Amino acid sequence: MESLDPRVNRLNLSTTELTSKAPLDQLGTYEVFSQLKEDKPYFHVGPVHAPNCEMAFLFAKEQFSRRQTCTGLFVVETRNIKVSVFTEGEDTVYNYISNPGELANGNTESFELFHLKKRGKQHEYIGTIEASSAEVALSMVKSEFINDKPVYNIWIIKTSDIESSQDEDKIIWDTLPDKKFRDAIAYKAADKIKEFKERQ
Amino acid sequence: MYGGGNTFEHIKSNGLENEDPEKLAQFEARIERGEKIEPNDWMPQLYRKQLIRMIEQHAHSEIIGALPEGTWITRAPGFKRKLALMAKVQDEVGHAQLLYSAAETLGKSREQMIDDLINGKSKYSNIFNYPAFTWADSCFISWLVDAGAIVNQLANARGSYGPYCRALDRICAEESFHLKYGHHCVIHMATGTEKQREMMQAAINRWWPPMMHFFGPSDKISVHSEILMRWKVKMGSNDDMRNQFLDMYVPKIWELGFTIPDENLRKNEVTGRWEYTEPDWEEFKRVINGDGPCNKERLAVRRTAEERGRWVREALLAPKTEYVAPLA
Repeated sequence: MESLDPRVNRLNLSTTELTSKAPLDQLGTYEVFSQLKEDKPYFHVGPVHAPNCEMAFLFAKEQFSRRQTCTGLFVVETRNIKVSVFTEGEDTVYNYISNPGELANGNTESFELFHLKKRGKQHEYIGTIEASSAEVALSMVKSEFINDKPVYNIWIIKTSDIESSQDEDKIIWDTLPDKKFRDAIAYKAADKIKEFKERQ
Repeated sequence: MYGGGNTFEHIKSNGLENEDPEKLAQFEARIERGEKIEPNDWMPQLYRKQLIRMIEQHAHSEIIGALPEGTWITRAPGFKRKLALMAKVQDEVGHAQLLYSAAETLGKSREQMIDDLINGKSKYSNIFNYPAFTWADSCFISWLVDAGAIVNQLANARGSYGPYCRALDRICAEESFHLKYGHHCVIHMATGTEKQREMMQAAINRWWPPMMHFFGPSDKISVHSEILMRWKVKMGSNDDMRNQFLDMYVPKIWELGFTIPDENLRKNEVTGRWEYTEPDWEEFKRVINGDGPCNKERLAVRRTAEERGRWVREALLAPKTEYVAPLA
């Protein structure tokens, strides 16, 4: 059959036998977090692959914020996320975290904290903490962020590992409300069907 | 967009005799309670293997499914249709990204999956091995192939694997735009000139047999498929999915004054099931095994994209980052 694809019939794209490609596009892995409205917490939306933080951010913006609203987005390399143990049922992660031995001793850095509050859902931002290491931060969260409801898993990210949108970047989402053509609601046609039936 | 009728591998032994019975019981109890399985949870090998296969096939179908419609972007009638079709094709490729990531959490790298697609080892939805001759074909795909996909995806979104379900929730939300857009296009053709109606009817006639194939052959009830149903990997039989599709969309096609090229197609009011001429499963097998009108071309387009993008990937090689499996 003669091809109907302009890329094939105009660009002389070959249709010879298939070979494997060279291992080149196994780029780094980043996790993406987004904020839908100013007063809402950031939550994990999914991963992207990219060669560096900046491109991961751009890709994440296209992949996870091309509809509805967005007020903030950040990416972090997956390998830089510290993950706690997982628990289930009424068992909270905080049962497995010991109290801090030595608190802030000298140099501290800030760490971002994320809770998994329901299995099957996504991690949600809970707060920022100053500590000398991720391990110390984890032991400190117990006193600061514990509450009655069980937490099934904690992610801790060093703030400096994050590539985040800044206040002045928010204009990149200014045009989202204009892109109605991406939404189902822009394609109403009930009137046309009704009129068609009446003509029959 | 999504290929229906996953070709689950029929293996002689289901391998369960090698699994730790205590862990297996806990795993099954968790699914029974309606909880999701997450990447770090214990899971049987068979579960992992079937999910990788299924999610990978789904991802490939999104990538390949973007091709027949993608070729119509330059020829879409008018600016609005062009804008919508570009948005839709972008969504489909984005869906593939989400799905590859979900499969990666199970331990197969993206590189390996793309490799298996272009070397012909992995399957994708058979319907995309057929050509889109006219704009009306593109309308049929946007409305009805996507409708079939949504039937499958809504069912799978209730499955047991967390990362796949979360990807499907995002995908289903976007598919509602595809469905409405596609229906809008078909209504436009149906209420247009005589020539437009003829074009649309011809497209329905061409696409009906592959549409019936879309959900896959009747699945025989085997021990294997019972396990996959119990583990909420497979959420319904192929016949159930096909019946649901017919129930929802045949009346909408008839409503627009079109006919469907199957004189035996009718709903049995007693059983509530649709009756139809048995699809030609020999053709289905032939096409899925490589002998369809567009198989070679679809893969060649992918392979060429890999070849032509090679210099970009070389330029981007960045030893400072590291590939690891996504977390969730």
